Amino acid sequence: MSSFDFNYLAGLFPILFRYLGITLQMAAMASVIALALALVLALIRVFKLPLANSFVVVFISFFRGTPLLVQLFILYYGLPQLIPALIGLDAFSAAVIGLSLHFSAYMAESLRAAIQAVPRSQWEASYAFGMTRIQALRRIVLPQAVRTALPSLMNYLIDLLKSTSLAFTLGLAEIMAKAQMEASSSFKFFESYLAVALIYWGIVLISTHLQSKLEAHLSKAY
Amino acid sequence: MIKFQSILRYVAASVLLMTSMTTIAQETIKVGMSGRYFPFTFVQQDKLQGFEVDIWDEIAKRNDWQVEYVTANFSGLFGLLETGRIDTISNQITMTDERKAKYLFSTPYVVDGAQIVVRKGNASINSIDDLAGKRVAVNLGSNFEQLLRKHDTENQINIVTYDAGIEQDVALGRSDAFVMDRVSSLALIKKSGLPLAMAGEPFELIENAMPFVDNAKGQQLQQAVNASLQAMREDGSLSEISQKWFDGDITRK
Repeated sequence: MSSFDFNYLAGLFPILFRYLGITLQMAAMASVIALALALVLALIRVFKLPLANSFVVVFISFFRGTPLLVQLFILYYGLPQLIPALIGLDAFSAAVIGLSLHFSAYMAESLRAAIQAVPRSQWEASYAFGMTRIQALRRIVLPQAVRTALPSLMNYLIDLLKSTSLAFTLGLAEIMAKAQMEASSSFKFFESYLAVALIYWGIVLISTHLQSKLEAHLSKAY
Repeated sequence: MIKFQSILRYVAASVLLMTSMTTIAQETIKVGMSGRYFPFTFVQQDKLQGFEVDIWDEIAKRNDWQVEYVTANFSGLFGLLETGRIDTISNQITMTDERKAKYLFSTPYVVDGAQIVVRKGNASINSIDDLAGKRVAVNLGSNFEQLLRKHDTENQINIVTYDAGIEQDVALGRSDAFVMDRVSSLALIKKSGLPLAMAGEPFELIENAMPFVDNAKGQQLQQAVNASLQAMREDGSLSEISQKWFDGDITRK
């Protein structure tokens, strides 16, 4: 039995940090797109827009009801067999699109719940001031809803970050891919996976810190 | 104005240079591998290397190609090939009938199979027929016991199943031989440094090769790769690469 090799663990960090950029870019782009898409999906459901509403129900059902890995495989390996133009889609874009669609489905439901949790009277008071529906939403309802939704949205963003580790199946060299490859040549599995775990944990700690700052900021009015 | 013109001229010249460079640029071949199969394809200190990489560097040199290595999980490799994102896979792909029906394969560049390993200096065992009456160790969970039984119809081999340490037991002389796949045997002998030697040729052969998509480009690649493999076999560079990683020649029977 070999013992824990601290020097090997320490030596892995500079290597993994070289690929941290890809992980972070992927997570950041997917987070922004997912949040924007989730808002659109949530509003369609809140306002029950005809036709669009049923489409969104099916969309959310599919992307919540199937594993992310399957969705990535369909997007990257499956669809190009039907639509040859999609072969031009590179692994990075495919991963960002897949992560965005998948997590927007979850976040849409959180946002919808938060919007619907704002008392009906808030809408009515806004209309009484002569606001349109869009104005009421933007000025009165959304700011309150976002505050409620923030903790659960943060859950999904953390999950999204960690799910970028699936991108190696598409051939993307991110930190998990590198950890796996280093592990299979050195046979030091514990050290390699511990290194990558610590990096993910570190990023999540920083994000959670930012979240609590943001929460404090949003609670100022209360 | 003069300055502007000179800039324009500079831009025009560099555009011209770049286009002429691309016309003479080498063809790029994308080779997929897992990067996780030591010592065939592995990453150490962020550097992709191994038997497969050496083979492809050599093939590329001979054809004046540029090789781009694409590492992906093994489960994603055939999908990459299928969707044209890579041109071939170099990851010890075994030529099965199902795969042969779908893809074009290069000539096999690695021959694997069940291998008998004995203590160094033991000349009494050279083939499976010499195992009658001998004590032969196999690993638990491997199919080598069934393989041996298939050949040993009269039940003359004393097969012992081990959880671990079959190499130690043969080196000590407690067992006469062990049976394992050839490539792993070579890696084990090299890594353990024990006084062990391979006895005879492997049996129940498995042939590994590189698959190409069955289209015009695939056919062209298959021919070029086959010609290079043939030349490498003849001038000894193929077995040289094998010796470097395995201290033995896994490229032929």
